[in-house]
Amino acid sequence: MDSSHAQTPPAELTRALARVIGAGGVAVLATIVEAEQGVGAKVLFEAEGGRTGTTGDATFDEALAAYARDFDASRAEAKTLRAEEFAPAPGAWRGARVLFERVEPEPHLVVCGAGHVGAALARLAHAVGYRVTLVDDRADFLTRERFPEGGIDLVTAHGWGETLKEVVGTGRGVYAAVVTRGHNEDEECLHAVLAARPDYVGMIGSRRRTNIVLGRLRESGIDEEVLREVRAPVGLDLGAVTPEEVALAILAEAVAHRRGGDGTSLSAWRRA
Amino acid sequence: MSSVTKLELYRLVGAAAARGERVVVATVAHTRGSTPQRRGAKMLFFEGGGTAGTVGGGCVEAEVWAEAREALRTGRPALHRFTLTADEASEEGMVCGGTMEIFLDVWG
Repeated sequence: MDSSHAQTPPAELTRALARVIGAGGVAVLATIVEAEQGVGAKVLFEAEGGRTGTTGDATFDEALAAYARDFDASRAEAKTLRAEEFAPAPGAWRGARVLFERVEPEPHLVVCGAGHVGAALARLAHAVGYRVTLVDDRADFLTRERFPEGGIDLVTAHGWGETLKEVVGTGRGVYAAVVTRGHNEDEECLHAVLAARPDYVGMIGSRRRTNIVLGRLRESGIDEEVLREVRAPVGLDLGAVTPEEVALAILAEAVAHRRGGDGTSLSAWRRA
Repeated sequence: MSSVTKLELYRLVGAAAARGERVVVATVAHTRGSTPQRRGAKMLFFEGGGTAGTVGGGCVEAEVWAEAREALRTGRPALHRFTLTADEASEEGMVCGGTMEIFLDVWG
């Protein structure tokens, strides 16, 4: 485990990190945090397969790579493990501890429809730190006068399908909220968005109205399994009334989805 | 709570490294009990005395600061355990009472 001489120059890692972040990519950073030698050694594993850095031990690097894939599939943001918990043959690394961290962009919330709810949702999500793209086919709903704070991408759709396909991309890290002015628009948006299987998709409306839209999508050939993932009606039950409250209910559901919360009151146990 | 995103922190680390400056990156590696920050939370300490991000408010930050200054000087990364019992926490009127392991890494 003579790794101290073989550590990666930090500039190489910061460059690799900058590249991953710049491309909106996902990676897992593994750092030796406790060991007899090699503390601070880091390996960056990109979801696309690239790798930067080494612990100086190729066998241990492979064990890190294998666990990094499992870690990537979990929702954890950071986790510290002993070598023997993930390496089949830890050898000299027995007892060493490794910090695994996820490097990924903040969720990208795509809001379809810039009416009262859509505008409120875009502003609120931006304040919470999400990347936000607000899409509408009415350019006059997307003026800088309406969104003077900046930081929200305003995209005018010339045909929802084409525009959303571009905005949603691979769907990874994308949260889509469909809050347009009518069911025809909702249907068109969902059709385009679902093709990429984003991390979260929700549609506003009553149970009846959203069922009609989902029924039409089913008839158009979209898989039942895909449709089941759609949050319709979107949002947590907060009893929301105003557009801002409805936006809060949607964002609360998105946060719960991301962080694994169940949306109940933290104090519920007192009354159980 | 700092509103600096993790990506922004990585950008700052990269910028400091590009300037040839040493930067200490404190990361909450492991927690037990009620702690004020989640695993993965980060705080940066720059040579000039500046900081960014947070690993947990008043409960442990003063101790982390002291260790970070030491790490900036020596350039040696290490894992540190910080314990705050519930009694200590309530005396201080703070929201924590648990163990935090914070890795102080040295970049650049």
